[in-house]
Amino acid sequence: MIKAENLKKYYGATVALDDVSFEVQKGETFGLLGPNGAGKTTTIKLLCGLLRPDAGTVTLDGKTDPGQIEVRLSLGVVPQSLALYEELSALENLRFFGKIYGLNGQKLKERVRDCLDIAGLAKRCKERVSKYSGGMKRRLNMVCSLLHDPPILLLDEPTVGVDPQSRNLIFETIEAMGKEGRTIIYTTHYMEEAQRLCDRVAIIDHGRILDMDSVENLITRHGGPSHIEAEFEEKLSDVNKIKPFVDNKDIQFEETKIIFQTSRPMESLAKLNSSGVRFRSLKVQTADLEDVFLNLTGRRLRD
Amino acid sequence: MNKAIFLAVKDLRVLISDKGNIFWVFGFPVLFALFFGAIYSGIGKGPSGMEIAVVNEDNSEFSNAYISKLESDEALKIVDLSRDEAVEQVRKGKVAAAIILNKGFGDGFEALFNRDEPKLEIASDPSRKMESGYLQGLLAKAQFEALSEKFMDRQWMKNQINLWRNELENTTGLDAGQADLYLSFIDSFDTLLTDVNDENFGAGFDGDILNFAKLDVSREYEGPVTAFQITFPQAMLWGILGCTATFAISIVKERTNGTFDRLRIGPLGRAHILAGKGLACFITCILIMCILSIGAKTIFKMPISNLLLFIPAAFCTVLCFVGLMMFICTLGRTEQSAGGAGWAILMIMAMIGGGMVPLAFMPSWLRSFSHISPVKWSIFALEGAIWRNFSLIEMINPCLVLLAIGFTSFLLGVVMLRRQED
Repeated sequence: MIKAENLKKYYGATVALDDVSFEVQKGETFGLLGPNGAGKTTTIKLLCGLLRPDAGTVTLDGKTDPGQIEVRLSLGVVPQSLALYEELSALENLRFFGKIYGLNGQKLKERVRDCLDIAGLAKRCKERVSKYSGGMKRRLNMVCSLLHDPPILLLDEPTVGVDPQSRNLIFETIEAMGKEGRTIIYTTHYMEEAQRLCDRVAIIDHGRILDMDSVENLITRHGGPSHIEAEFEEKLSDVNKIKPFVDNKDIQFEETKIIFQTSRPMESLAKLNSSGVRFRSLKVQTADLEDVFLNLTGRRLRD
Repeated sequence: MNKAIFLAVKDLRVLISDKGNIFWVFGFPVLFALFFGAIYSGIGKGPSGMEIAVVNEDNSEFSNAYISKLESDEALKIVDLSRDEAVEQVRKGKVAAAIILNKGFGDGFEALFNRDEPKLEIASDPSRKMESGYLQGLLAKAQFEALSEKFMDRQWMKNQINLWRNELENTTGLDAGQADLYLSFIDSFDTLLTDVNDENFGAGFDGDILNFAKLDVSREYEGPVTAFQITFPQAMLWGILGCTATFAISIVKERTNGTFDRLRIGPLGRAHILAGKGLACFITCILIMCILSIGAKTIFKMPISNLLLFIPAAFCTVLCFVGLMMFICTLGRTEQSAGGAGWAILMIMAMIGGGMVPLAFMPSWLRSFSHISPVKWSIFALEGAIWRNFSLIEMINPCLVLLAIGFTSFLLGVVMLRRQED
């Protein structure tokens, strides 16, 4: 459905994208996870034709020119900036963008109404956008790209600076869009978002894709072991009896507690349980995409 | 085309949503026209009467009649003052001259033709000889008219004859034969005054002393009839300049807040977007032209000498500034920088192009320099249709210059915009 091959983009002497390649299947939600300046927005701009690559090709639904009208009509792009006319109301913004996409009459009315419902702005649709909160503007910014019901969605950090309620509404909308079979590319620097929304994630930094796979596989490959703290009801009489049930020789023992790391946390806990010990509390800290990024780059995502 | 219209309608909505925009685009030009129209309000009015002070120290029936004659003359504007006040007003240049009717001015022929002791004095600045000569002519005219009325007064004439007779009889050194001759003439004149009937007596002195036919030929006046013919074209330009800057800044704003990209991602070409902006700017400018010209014509009675030429002049002016708008929007990457640079350029264009000081009031070197400003060509074209009485051929020149500037600026703007985006 979407194919980027060996994309390169330079801004003067700065390398924005360096040989970026990936493929997104129809109905898949694909994440681009990386810190600010990693090349996420440049990738989106290349995909939708706002920028021309210095090398490489973009193929959208079999077509290599994103400038073609039918390709543009199949794209819904949610820009990182609030690309809205703040002097107009939400209703006027939606009507205007709808008309630009060729909607009119009853169809336009229906789509505007649906989008206002999705954004939760139906009651305040006649107010000027300048009076909206940041979250309301973000929601409107997103639904303006859904008006023409595009099969492909490119979302460039759509939750920057929003309140938890609006963020959740945006997540639910994206999940619903995914379930409807839309192909989605989602850029973010929040690993929780990528982990929640994306079927596959590409870790991008300094214009290069470092690795790309499902969240689970990425964690398995680069996340490192899970960290387990188990506290028991009774004091351990013989610690050697426990050791065979734990896949780690570097186990720390305290009076009623053991601490160890494992790459198979659930398996280890099941074994430990079968040893007959009685747990008072369990604390399992599994690896996440933050750890993946840390292990791949030596930096944290928000550094 | 529909999409360009949607874009233009959206831009007009955005424009009118801001009261500040409405003021600068529509309100300010009207205030400009009114303010400077009031300042230049003397333009186009014919010369008013010469203001002179009159000092009536005689205060006789004849002097009062004489002043009435002066007051009835449209060429004069009379102010009644004391001698000191009148002389002071002349010194300060507040009146062109002062005439003083001394005691005895109304004492008949003796007083009027007395060379030794003139009964009428004229106080005027010796450097203003033309005005002084003109005034003397008007005074003589009034004097003859006042006298002709006295000639119609049979008793006054008889008294004058008696005075002459007494003077002759008392004169020594006059030859007896000559004296008899004069007395005989005076007696005959006296008899005539006594015997002639009223109808014939009146007819003898009725009419002007110098009889001439008047042929009214109004001098051809090539300047504006009213100051508004100068200030309204300027005001139209200020409205258009405001509109140009506003739309140029709005393009930059669209680029900075991402709506420009959002539109480009949609099924629109860059040409559509720019056409929409250009159309909105064009419509607003035409609206300014219409409002100001209709207002000027209906409310301020500003004549437009050639409406058919006014339309292409306005059209070319607007097209020129739509092109400039496209160029100005590329002068900065932020609203502040584009707005600052844009207004700086437009202000300079207005200053040297007659947007502030009318072209007619500029020194000749600045008038030559103003050729580089599209404001000059716009005002020139508009004035050509409003009061300069341009022919079609004369109008082609400024219109072509405006179209060339507009087209070049538009092209330059589009190229620079494309380069900045890539």
